[in-house]
Amino acid sequence: MSAETYILFELAGAFYGVRSRDVLHIEMLEHITPVPNTANAVEGVVFSRGHVIPAVNLRVRFGFPRIEHTGRTRLIFTRSGQRTVALIVDSAREFRTIPAESIRPIGETLTGIPGNYLSGVATAADRLVLLLDLAAVLAIETTAAAATPPAALLQPTS
Amino acid sequence: MSGDFTPELQTELLEDFYAECDELLSGIRKSLAHLEHAGATDPPDSAALESIYRSIHTLKGIAGIVGLRAAEQLAHGTEGLLRSLSRGESAWSEHSLDLLAGAVQRLDQLVAAHRLNQPPPDTESLVAQLRQYGTPAGTRGEIAPASSTPSPGRALAAGAGPDADGNNPQGRWLAIFSPSAELDRRGVNINAVRERLSALGPIVRAAPSVQPGGAMQFEFLLAVPEPPSDVEGWARDGIQFRPAVAGQSEPEPAPDSRPQSEPAPGLATAPSHIVRVELSRLDELMRIVGEMVIHRSRLEERIHQLNGGQSGLQEVNLSLGRSLRELREAITRVRLVPVAEIFTRLPFAVRDLGRESGKKVRLALEGEDTEIDKYVVERLKEPLLHLVRNAVSHGVESPAERLAAGKREEAVIRLRAATDGQWATIEIHDDGSGIDPRTIAARAASLGEPISNSPTEAELLDVLCRPGFSTRDEADLAAGRGVGMAVVHNTIRELGGTLSLRTQPGQWTSFRLRLPLTLSIAETFLVSAAGQLCAIPQGFVEEIVLLAATDVRTIQQVEVVSYRDGVLPLVRLRALFRTEPSTVAQVPMLILSTERGLCGLVVDRVHGQREVVVRSMHDPLLQVPGVAGATELGDGRPVLILDPVDLTSGAVRPRTSPRPPVPSRAAPTGAFATAS
Repeated sequence: MSAETYILFELAGAFYGVRSRDVLHIEMLEHITPVPNTANAVEGVVFSRGHVIPAVNLRVRFGFPRIEHTGRTRLIFTRSGQRTVALIVDSAREFRTIPAESIRPIGETLTGIPGNYLSGVATAADRLVLLLDLAAVLAIETTAAAATPPAALLQPTS
Repeated sequence: MSGDFTPELQTELLEDFYAECDELLSGIRKSLAHLEHAGATDPPDSAALESIYRSIHTLKGIAGIVGLRAAEQLAHGTEGLLRSLSRGESAWSEHSLDLLAGAVQRLDQLVAAHRLNQPPPDTESLVAQLRQYGTPAGTRGEIAPASSTPSPGRALAAGAGPDADGNNPQGRWLAIFSPSAELDRRGVNINAVRERLSALGPIVRAAPSVQPGGAMQFEFLLAVPEPPSDVEGWARDGIQFRPAVAGQSEPEPAPDSRPQSEPAPGLATAPSHIVRVELSRLDELMRIVGEMVIHRSRLEERIHQLNGGQSGLQEVNLSLGRSLRELREAITRVRLVPVAEIFTRLPFAVRDLGRESGKKVRLALEGEDTEIDKYVVERLKEPLLHLVRNAVSHGVESPAERLAAGKREEAVIRLRAATDGQWATIEIHDDGSGIDPRTIAARAASLGEPISNSPTEAELLDVLCRPGFSTRDEADLAAGRGVGMAVVHNTIRELGGTLSLRTQPGQWTSFRLRLPLTLSIAETFLVSAAGQLCAIPQGFVEEIVLLAATDVRTIQQVEVVSYRDGVLPLVRLRALFRTEPSTVAQVPMLILSTERGLCGLVVDRVHGQREVVVRSMHDPLLQVPGVAGATELGDGRPVLILDPVDLTSGAVRPRTSPRPPVPSRAAPTGAFATAS
């Protein structure tokens, strides 16, 4: 019987889990520097442990409305392949072991989330936990703004 | 002591080998270029021949150590040719020069193939030619051809036992080195051992061997009459001596068959006082210095917060700043290497290309001693080669055309390097047919991307650097594939530099590369707009002036302002952050000078000059135009470093004079004082 540990977090009233081996660390959100021309879900960059890391607003990524950041807002620094990306979530809750057999595939009807960002769903501590497919979550298309050729980047105003 | 020659050690050994081969080959090319420049006069410059001989000899030795037999054999053949040339037994001619150049090129390919784990290029015909050429009668001994040495791991004198009386009629001793991780930690590695042994006497031959059980050993055959006295000391470093037994040692070039010009062994083995350092270690040092720079900035801030009477502290802070700057500069200097490393490769490319295309071209090098960051030099290899090839393929006309145009039959491509403050410039100038704007315009139109009929030089460059743009309908080997210039341009941009073009149709073309000497720390101006703090690389800032809102006019939807002898287009930093323009009557404006021309960047505030540590942003989510990187000023907040070229590409004033930008020339600090 195999089991894996997950970091559980909250987003728009639902619980999500990300494999803890994909998580480097979790920080309070202090300052984000916006970066022009990035994809909509990219809120900006943060500086963490000597590196400049993009911060993705998971609410925007999943199509939920943005909310003000609060004292509970957390940055979850995830590692996927060679990339390090921070996810902005409403709050990070706990650390939990989820046995493999309690993970079920995502049913068509279950997800209100656009795209295929989940790897499965599990029940943990009497709650439904949606498990992230991190690589899919981080595969963000560049927006029209970012794809704009440099020539049109900073058109003179007026 | 054997058995723990780890894969890491082997990798390290090979990396050292490749690095040393690179250095040797680069030196050889330089000497060859010198010989070639002097022409096929008889006799050739003996100093250059000698230097090539020495390098080839060393290369032969180290190739033996790593078991690269083909290179060893080829180097041996080349030695033969050199020997015969320096003795005057073979005539110095165009043919011998070609043969030498060919051998060097093949050696380069052999090493490259070994490095990339590719099948080695064929060397047999070349070795056969060399043998014909370079084995004068009376030369004793010859290296065994590779075909007779099927196992690279074969011992030089397998099973040789110590002679009872230690006597050795041949004057040959075998030194056997068994490397280990423990020895390596003490700095006793194969290269150190080779140096030490060569101090005892000439190393006739070196070869690796694999012992039963997989342990690796290296055997050196030394031309010395007796082993060193301190045999125990050597043994502690894993080196054992045995007399080489006659008949069991394979034939090899006898040391006395070396040319007379060979310096005394003592000279050749003098310690070099050179340490080879991995670039990554220097990067690490630079990173630490970067952190210290940040700490000092914070310290400075704190000192400013303390009110009055802290002159002592301030003084300490200032000297700390000075020391840091010195430390940074010292590390920077360590990373600098002469551009000769790449320049010396180019004459051969030009020679080959000229020959293939029937054009007469000479490459003139200037400023080869100019030193640039090693990383930059490495990255420039391909772009420079491409530009030089382009000059031959596209620039230089056929001899007949040149004569018809009243030019000298032989075209000259000048490659000139120089430094200018914090920048290095490299110029590739050819006196060929120039770039005809009409041809480029026609070509651009036929590719469906029309440009104006009288494009400026900046526009021409822009078109040439578009991916897929080629003036050729059919590509040849050297140029015309339509990818090159785009790659050249991107590489230079990535290095934080600029590329510019000047040309006179029918007369000449000149590409100028401008590159920062150092990479990781940049002098910047901190500016802000709409509450966003940003850094602008100082090298692009000509000056900072105050802009009165009433001076701004709008011409064809572009905001402009009178500046010097013309109008200057403006862009507003607020627009980057999608906020409305400021309504303040007077705002600071940075005059940015890029490869595209001059442009004014309007900001809300200039906060001052700051030395920042550039942190790259690799994630694909952050690969956006306008942002070159980020930095951190000590408060944990990232500050974006903007890319002036992208920022201003929507609106620039073409340069009116052909003069290249000279950044910081206009004393920005003075102007800045009025602006802050």
